[in-house]
Amino acid sequence: MIPILIAAGVGIIFVVGIVKLMWRVAEPNEALIISGLRAYRNPDNAVAESLGFKIVTGKGVLVMPGGQNVRRLSLDLQAAQLSVDCVTQQGIPVGVRGVVIFKVGDDYASIANAARRFLDQQNKMEARVHNVFAGHLRAMVGQLTIEDMIRDREKLTALTRASSGTEMQKLGLIVDSLQIQEIDDPTGYIKNLGRPHVAAVASQARIAEAQADREATEQEQIAAALKAEAARNSAIKQSGFQAEVDEAAARAQQAGPLAEATAHQQVVVEQTKVAQLEGDREEQRLQATVRKPADARAYEQTTLARASRDAQISAAEASAQETTLVAAAQAESTRIVGDADAHARRAIGEADAATLAAKGLAEAEAIRARADALSVNQDAVIGQQLAEQWPAIVEAAAKPFGDVDQMILLNGATGIAELLTQALSQGSAGFQLARSLLSGQSQSGQAQSGQAPAGRSPADNGSVSIPAPTSAPPAGEPDK
Amino acid sequence: MADQIMLGKTARVTGTIMPGVVGEVMVSVRGGAEAFHAYAAEDGVTIAVGARVLVVEYHPPRTVFVTRL
Repeated sequence: MIPILIAAGVGIIFVVGIVKLMWRVAEPNEALIISGLRAYRNPDNAVAESLGFKIVTGKGVLVMPGGQNVRRLSLDLQAAQLSVDCVTQQGIPVGVRGVVIFKVGDDYASIANAARRFLDQQNKMEARVHNVFAGHLRAMVGQLTIEDMIRDREKLTALTRASSGTEMQKLGLIVDSLQIQEIDDPTGYIKNLGRPHVAAVASQARIAEAQADREATEQEQIAAALKAEAARNSAIKQSGFQAEVDEAAARAQQAGPLAEATAHQQVVVEQTKVAQLEGDREEQRLQATVRKPADARAYEQTTLARASRDAQISAAEASAQETTLVAAAQAESTRIVGDADAHARRAIGEADAATLAAKGLAEAEAIRARADALSVNQDAVIGQQLAEQWPAIVEAAAKPFGDVDQMILLNGATGIAELLTQALSQGSAGFQLARSLLSGQSQSGQAQSGQAPAGRSPADNGSVSIPAPTSAPPAGEPDK
Repeated sequence: MADQIMLGKTARVTGTIMPGVVGEVMVSVRGGAEAFHAYAAEDGVTIAVGARVLVVEYHPPRTVFVTRL
């Protein structure tokens, strides 16, 4: 039993192994190309019949080893990089770099086409496609403008289909996507294309920024002003409240002293009143004790003084009357005496005047006579006058000797004689001098010569004027 | 046989169909959706992108003729 089971198991394993070796599965991304025995007898595949090989996709198939050959064709997506220097519709040279994404078509016709072309060179598929597509891309760019390349995808794909679709179908390939990755733009066309817009946008951005900045600044300033206003109002209110607080505090602080002062003031008022009352009382007292008695005394003294004055006035009046009467009597008597005296004096004066007139006439006559004599002989007159005055002259010359107590003469009698001679010569010299003076005077004016001796005689010797003074006193004495 | 799979299917235009231009339609086929080159069945008809069309003719491998539904 067990050997049978084992044999059956081994048999099953063998069968499974055989089947496993013969069974091929086509995965979703590949197609099995089966050629060989009975391959053309696949009733499902009309294309395969005509081609003579079988295409299997998406399922497993038993392959007869030795009788059939199986190849796998990848249906995976593939990409080919493109880099083409070309010219746009406007004649602008550009370098275009793109990528084309393609795959083997999923239908049997495409798989058959691709299998016949690429089955042994699937690795070279990209290179083939690149070569084909480089030309197509150049042709496409020649029909496009740069703006279209950038913006119009629809046009690009349409052109891709139109220019390359048929050719790719020949290869059994379909183009899933053609992307232009980069446009190398040596002329700066694209950059310039965007420049106006960039400038406009930048301008708008700056405008918007400036506007926003302005509005923000305005709002900030308004806010700052409002803040300042609020701060001001707050400060004002605070100051007001503070002032009230200070005032209240000061008032409270001063309340004590003020009350004290008020109380003191009232005390002072009361004291003042008391003092006033005392003053009044004192005044009343003084009125009673001092003034009234004083008034009485004053009245008494006034009355007494008035009486005394009246009495004195009466006495003085009496005395004055008496004096007046006496004086009148005296004046009368004096006047009478004076009249008498005046009469007497007038008589005496008249008598004296007559005397003096007579004497003056006599003297005038004498002087005239002397002047006549002088005019006749000067020397004689002078000599006479000198001779009259000689004793006085000698006395004047001897006067220096009079002061000498003892005179010692060294040359005896002759000494004395010399001395006297000298003194006398001095006198004769004076005589000469007087003479020269007189002659000088007579020369200066003959008219005055008569009066000159009379004017100087009292000063020199008084010989001429002596008689006049001696005669006057006897005349004056009777006046007294 | 493949003709029978494609014919009568509705498709959606993904590339404008107009004279002188190869259009494109997406067709649900073989459990997926595939893009086919499309031409208008009638001359001088333009079919815009997004329109629903009916496949009336199939030219293997990848070309269909469509008419507007």
